[in-house]
Amino acid sequence: MGEAVRSRVLVGGALVAAVVLVGVYLAAGGSSYTPEKTQDPCKHRAWRSPEGLQEIAQQFTLSALDGAACQLGVSRETLARALATPEGRERFMERYEIGDARLARAVRAGLLRAVDDAEEAGALNPLLAAPLRETLRNIPLDQAIELINNAESLLDNVQGFLGPAQSFLEQFLP
Amino acid sequence: MLADSSIVVLALPQIYRELDTSVAGVTWVLISFNLVMALAAVPAAHLARRVGPGRAAAVGLAVFAGASLACAVSDQLSTLIAARCVQALGGAAAVTAVLELLPATVGSERRATAIWATAGATGAALGPAAGGLLTELVSWQSIFLIQLPIALAAAAPILAVAKHEAATGVLSAELRQTGRPHLLANLALALVSAAIAGALFLLVLLLIEGWRLSPIGAAIVVSVMPLSALLGSRLDRLVASARARAAAGAILVSGGLGGLALLPKAEVALTLPPQVMVGIGLALVLSALTETALSGRSPQAIHGGWTISARHAGVVIGLLAVTPIFTHDIAQQRQDAIDAGTAVILDSRVPPLLKLDLAQKIESRLDDEKGKVPTIGPAFEPLPDDPAERDEVVQLRDELQEQLNRGATHAFSPSFGLAALIGLLSLIPIAMARRVEL
Repeated sequence: MGEAVRSRVLVGGALVAAVVLVGVYLAAGGSSYTPEKTQDPCKHRAWRSPEGLQEIAQQFTLSALDGAACQLGVSRETLARALATPEGRERFMERYEIGDARLARAVRAGLLRAVDDAEEAGALNPLLAAPLRETLRNIPLDQAIELINNAESLLDNVQGFLGPAQSFLEQFLP
Repeated sequence: MLADSSIVVLALPQIYRELDTSVAGVTWVLISFNLVMALAAVPAAHLARRVGPGRAAAVGLAVFAGASLACAVSDQLSTLIAARCVQALGGAAAVTAVLELLPATVGSERRATAIWATAGATGAALGPAAGGLLTELVSWQSIFLIQLPIALAAAAPILAVAKHEAATGVLSAELRQTGRPHLLANLALALVSAAIAGALFLLVLLLIEGWRLSPIGAAIVVSVMPLSALLGSRLDRLVASARARAAAGAILVSGGLGGLALLPKAEVALTLPPQVMVGIGLALVLSALTETALSGRSPQAIHGGWTISARHAGVVIGLLAVTPIFTHDIAQQRQDAIDAGTAVILDSRVPPLLKLDLAQKIESRLDDEKGKVPTIGPAFEPLPDDPAERDEVVQLRDELQEQLNRGATHAFSPSFGLAALIGLLSLIPIAMARRVEL
């Protein structure tokens, strides 16, 4: 084989090898191997088959986190981790320059959205929803966060407390 | 010395943790050395001609050895960087002077050039494996300490030459007119070196910081490059055309980097084919371009100085180009990955209190890792006793780790892509150099 041919074979071989490697990796999904995108918290998410108190509490928490995250302009996931510990909350507030009052407003707004969503999904009786909204509008920040973190106990208490009253009121409804 | 930059690459993650600095900060351990080498190589070569290559090499090796010791005892990034600058000054003097001494030792200038070029390529490829082994088995300081006896051992025969120079006064007789450097070959050398620096630096960081391999594990993985470089040096002998070898090498380096930019999964095995291509490519292109830059040019030390300068300037350009991109991307991808993983946990059907517990542990884990890509496994320990709940938690842990792997891998993609592009740019001067055949 002459020198010119050997040179062409070498350059051509290198070119083919490079194109094949890049092509195979692209075909195998190389350009889409990225973390999955999280959803916009401001978009409404339908509740999934809310049956049983635990499942309703889960959906309630997620709706509340969505609502608060939407108000603060962060992802639901960032807010969930931030509210998990007092230190996490401090860091989050410092990083995003959010004061106590703004966080409280956002968390309350989130809880109100959760009540709306629960009502819309048929998981919360409208008779319970109205007084719950009133309570949530003025709830202190720490308690509001506690409610998000432990929605099950909130809903359990609400059902337990207002359950007899609801039966009583329903007697007078048309 | 030719392997120095690549040896240090494997130690960077450990230096970065121990000296409590940032990725961008620790990059200056490499940049400072290469910048001073780039600036000092040609003046050092002129100095070698004036004072004699034996003397210049002996003094250079002594400075290099002393500075290596200073690097090893540095406990702050600033002193380490300062010592690296002095190390590079000594290195520049020694490397360029040795090239002037080689022809007399090996018999001809052409053979000396080939040996010198191969030593450069082999050093660049072998460095990471040596650096990884030393870093993990001993410490990051050991990579500098080991350079001390090597430099002193090399100085012994050179001292004899220096004494001979002093006794015979051969210097003045050997001073010749210096020809112009081969601009296109040196430009291509700079561009290819920028791409190769990107390949080594980014791959090591991806393996250690992104995929959490140990330095020794990463060293074993990147050893594929020197082994492939050996194969490349065999091809080197089959084709005489330097331009063809340079073009093929540049294409292989860029193709390999393109593959690393498009890794379809966070699996070590998938880095092997691109590494084989980069290894073969670097052996072909570095030796072809160095031979071209030196061929028919005299004196060898000055033109060798130009190639050293071009290669190290290329490394500086490569590091300065890719570092800001991947440091920005890794922070963003880390956040996206953690968000994606948290979304998996929030949308799962594990009990709310368990979710809260996991969120707390993940937050603490992130706090412990201080902005680095975390290993998320410990956040899920201990696993729940209930078998059904345990299976669900294990699945969540794996999904969260998968999101982190995706984020870490993707964070490096644009930088690998840029390095591939720089490698392709070297084809322009290679194509323009129509009269570079040896």
